[in-house]
Formats: sequence, C-alpha cells, structure tokens
Amino acid sequence: MDVSEVLAAHKQKFKSVSVEGKIIPLEFDLGLLTAYDQNPVDEAALKKNKDEYLHELSRDNAQLLFNEIFQLQTISDDNGVMAMLPNPTTLLPREKPLPKPKPETRWEKFAKAKGIVNRKKERMVYDDNSGEYKPRWGYKGINDDGSKDWIIEVPAGANPMEDQYEARREAKKERIERNDKRHQRNLEEAAVATKMDQKAVNKGDRPNMDNVRSLKRKEIENQILISKNSTASAGKFDTAIKGDLKPKGIKRQFEPNVAADLSKEKAGNMSILDRVVGKNGEDLVNVRKAIKATKARR
Amino acid sequence: MLRTITPRNARVKRVLKNREAKTEENVKTAIFIRGSQTSQVVNDALADLYMLKKPYAVNFTKKNQIHPFEDQSNLQFFSQKNDASLFVIGTHSKKRPNTLTFARMFDHQLLDMMEVSIEHGVPMRDFKTPKSAIGMRPCFMFNGDMWDQNTNYIMLKSMLLDFYHGQTVDKVALAGLEYVISVTAGPMTSEGKPGKVYLRTYTIVLKRSGVKLPRIELVEMGPSMDMTFGRITEAKPDVWKQSLRVPKELKPKKKKNITKDDMNNTVGRIHLGKQDFDKIQTRKMKGLKKRSAEDEDSAKEKKQRMDASDDEE
Repeated sequence: MDVSEVLAAHKQKFKSVSVEGKIIPLEFDLGLLTAYDQNPVDEAALKKNKDEYLHELSRDNAQLLFNEIFQLQTISDDNGVMAMLPNPTTLLPREKPLPKPKPETRWEKFAKAKGIVNRKKERMVYDDNSGEYKPRWGYKGINDDGSKDWIIEVPAGANPMEDQYEARREAKKERIERNDKRHQRNLEEAAVATKMDQKAVNKGDRPNMDNVRSLKRKEIENQILISKNSTASAGKFDTAIKGDLKPKGIKRQFEPNVAADLSKEKAGNMSILDRVVGKNGEDLVNVRKAIKATKARR
Repeated sequence: MLRTITPRNARVKRVLKNREAKTEENVKTAIFIRGSQTSQVVNDALADLYMLKKPYAVNFTKKNQIHPFEDQSNLQFFSQKNDASLFVIGTHSKKRPNTLTFARMFDHQLLDMMEVSIEHGVPMRDFKTPKSAIGMRPCFMFNGDMWDQNTNYIMLKSMLLDFYHGQTVDKVALAGLEYVISVTAGPMTSEGKPGKVYLRTYTIVLKRSGVKLPRIELVEMGPSMDMTFGRITEAKPDVWKQSLRVPKELKPKKKKNITKDDMNNTVGRIHLGKQDFDKIQTRKMKGLKKRSAEDEDSAKEKKQRMDASDDEE
C-alpha cells in the first residue's frame, strides 16, 4: 500500500514548522529564552511594509526559538510540562556586589579545630510530660529549664528560704548576658580583623583571625593614645599614671648643619620664597574667603 | 541621605535581610518615573513598559524634577529607598522629544544609562487583541546584524534583557511562554550613525503542525515603538567588571576528563589502570594451563602407572 499520498495530504492540512531563507543560522541563549538573528534586515521590505515585514521576521525567529525550546529535555510537574533550561550564556550585571563572607567566630574556630560538625536537628521534639510534639526552643518550647515547674526541690546545702524560681530566672539571665558579651566580643574581633586584613577581604575571602587578640590590643592602645592626645593641652599637663602607655611618636629628623650638597637647601628655601612673593603666591590667600572675613569683621 | 534603619522587629529584620547582597539575587525592581514634562506618547510607553515589568516594578505617578544625565543623586536615593536597580525616566522637551532614559544601578550607584527617543509609538490598548498575563517571562528576539557591533545596540540589548528576563531559573513551563519581545535593528543612517530600532511585542499562539513541534503564530499585543538613540553613559570598566562577577557557588563545576571537541562532541578520557599481562585472560587451552607442584606429581605418577601397564602387556 502506498501511504505517501495520505501522508502528503495530512501534511498539507498543517503549516510547516521549518523556516527557510536564513543564511546565517540563529544563535540562541536558551537560559534567557533569547534568539539572536544575525542575518541582515531586508531594507526594501522594511521600508515598504514595515509592520508586516517585522511580524513575518519575528514569527520565523519565534518558530526557530520554539523549535529549540521544545527539543530540550522536559519533565512533568504540577505546573504542566517544564523544559529544563541550560545556564544563560549572556552575562548580565549583578544588582549588588558579591556578599562578603562573615569572619569566623570563636566557636567556629574551636569547632573547626576539634572537628565538630553542625548537624541538623528537628525543630519539633516529643515531650513526654504532655505527650505532644513541642518546639525544641522558643515560644512554648521545651527548654524552659523548669521555671514552669509547680514544685522545685531545694538543693542540698542551699538556703531553704531562698526562692528557687528566682534563682533559676537569675541563672538564665546571667547565661543570656554572658552570651551577649561573647557575641559582642566576636563582633569587635571581626571588625578589627576586617580592618587589619583588607587584602583578604578585598579578594572576597574571610579575614585572618589568627592573632586577632594582639591586633585588638594594638587597636585599643592606639585609641587610648589618641584620647590622651585629645585634651586641651594635647596631653601635656595630664597627671602621669604609673605603667601608662607612652606614645611612640615620630622622631624629628634634622638636616646636618654643614650639608655636603647645598642645592637641596637652596631649592627648599626658594620654594618658600616663591610661594610668598612669587607668581605662585596668588593662590596662597583665598581672596573670596578673605573678603568675606573682612566684611564680616566690619 | 537615607537614615540607616536598625531593625526593631522581626518583619523589618526580614526585609533588611532580603535586601542584603546575596549569591543568588532577587529579581531587579524597576522604577518608572515621569520627568518634569511628559507627552502622551511617553506616558503611554511608561505605562506599557510598567505593565510588562509587573510585579517587580514601582510606578511613580507624580512628576519629578529629574535630569539623570546631569545629576544622579535622585536616582541613588530612589534606588536605596525602594531597593530598586533599574529606572525608566520619561521626558519630553523640544530638544529631545518623547524620550525614555533607561538607567541601571550597581550597589545603588549608577552603572550605565542610555536615552532613546520614541519616533512612533502605539500603546498596548490600541491593539484589540488578547494580552499576556502579568508576570510572565517573555522570549526575546534580536534581529539584525548590529546587535554586537555598536555600543548603543549592545547596551540596549543588555538593558532589555536585564529589565525583562525575570528570575533565572533552571526550568520553564512550556504553557507559560506567552509573549515575545522582538527588537529589530534597522539600517544605519547615511552618515553612518545608528539608525532606528523597532520594538514589537507579540503574544504567542501554538498551533498543531502534524509533527511534535508546534507551529508558532504571533499576534501583536503592544506596545510597539520605533526608537532612535540619544545620549549614552557607559559603565566604568572596573565597576562593570565587578558587576559581572559570578559567585563561586554558582560557577559550573568543572568535570574532570570530560571535554568538548571542535565539533561540539563530548569526549571522555578514561583511566584504565596498569595492565598485568600475567593475569590477562586469554583463550583457555589445556596445554597452557598452569599447574601446581602437586598436580605435576600426580601426573607423573599417572604416567608411571601407564608405563607399568604397558610393560605388563
């Protein structure tokens, strides 16, 4: 039986999915669902019948793009048939710079040294007392450390008149305070390390936290010296404290009285003279500001 | 300058966290601004572009005294306030009629900016055809040989892709491909300057074709704009380079020993290990069978016995 006629008739019922007349094949960036048609635009057709030509051109290219998309690997999902897209090849700029990695905390450093790995724990845990699942921590959590117990045994050796509920509350408060302090310390150390190890930070790495304690000490010493120098007398008349830090200033350097080469000295003196009386002296005084000042004085 | 906000509740904290720099970024938000003077053409264009960009868009309905090519402080402020990094500013003046300025920000600072004038625009509402749903991902088409040759064209291409490409995802619903943005670069002007650019938007109709692939038909949905290029501010090279950085986590991992040859065929290299010819399996033959000492002894005995029996005969 010859089926070619039947097939031809069947084919004639539909329009073709192939596109002809593309000299340069299209380039696709399927990650962005984009087609680039490098073929030159037909100027005559564009001039003569703009909208029709553009419609025709777009349709052809859309057909080619969809032929590519429909040939991608597909999966079926609740949302229908999904095509798996490759990564985009066209680079587009980011909105914000890359996130900077957070500096290591003391715990992270310790855990790394000891080989402690964080493992996921379920949020809800079974509570034997109530026979229900309850959050591990937080609101209605199981870690209320017994402050909700209706009776507490007085520990051996404790003052029987002491309020054990109060003691537990105090203990919790203290723990929170201590943790806050540690958090603060981590932040301070991170700030110092970030400041000192700019090289790593600019490269997008974590700053080196190895000798952060000594760095922090140095930073604090610097701050103390600055504050000492910030009095009205620049620290000259402050009462000295025993064992106090002494500023290590820059030592003044003097030129030798009889210089071997006098040209340097001459050049230095000439430049001063030039600034005061020479041509360059004009911008020594801000005329506009000077006029304003004299006017204000009157 | 914006005041820095210290979060006082969980909601604000979440919002601020969402605004931080991330490896996988949010979809860029665009702000559509009317300049001090606008025309109907510009207003229509802004409204239509806003419709296409929704829901990642903020529409400023009031007029703003804004001149992006002279002073960018306004843009920086809007960018920070709205956590937006894309801008379209519509203006209309005698010198530059029906102008749209597309601007992009990086880290709330201006990255690049370009101006286009609408020579002829038809708004979406003038096409009495079905429209695509809001928030769908468009397909793009860039027709013409100019798109990677001239800075104007390169930037417009990058801008349009950046504005409308939406979330970068690894899969897309085939039924969700609803519309196409087709941009055609017209011929250069006689002075060799960049010519007109034709932006058209079509909805897609999939028809049966008798084969597995569908036949595509396009229906114009609008907006349709014929544009010419105006002023342009390119990105500073170092900032541009910084903005194109790809985080380590998102870089495709190199697979060892798999390469692609010139014909784009995948070629794998396999390591076979050292071959030991003593243990290699060849064709089994009785004569080549390795025999242990014991076997050999018993064989000798057998032979001797056979010899003995021969004697008896």
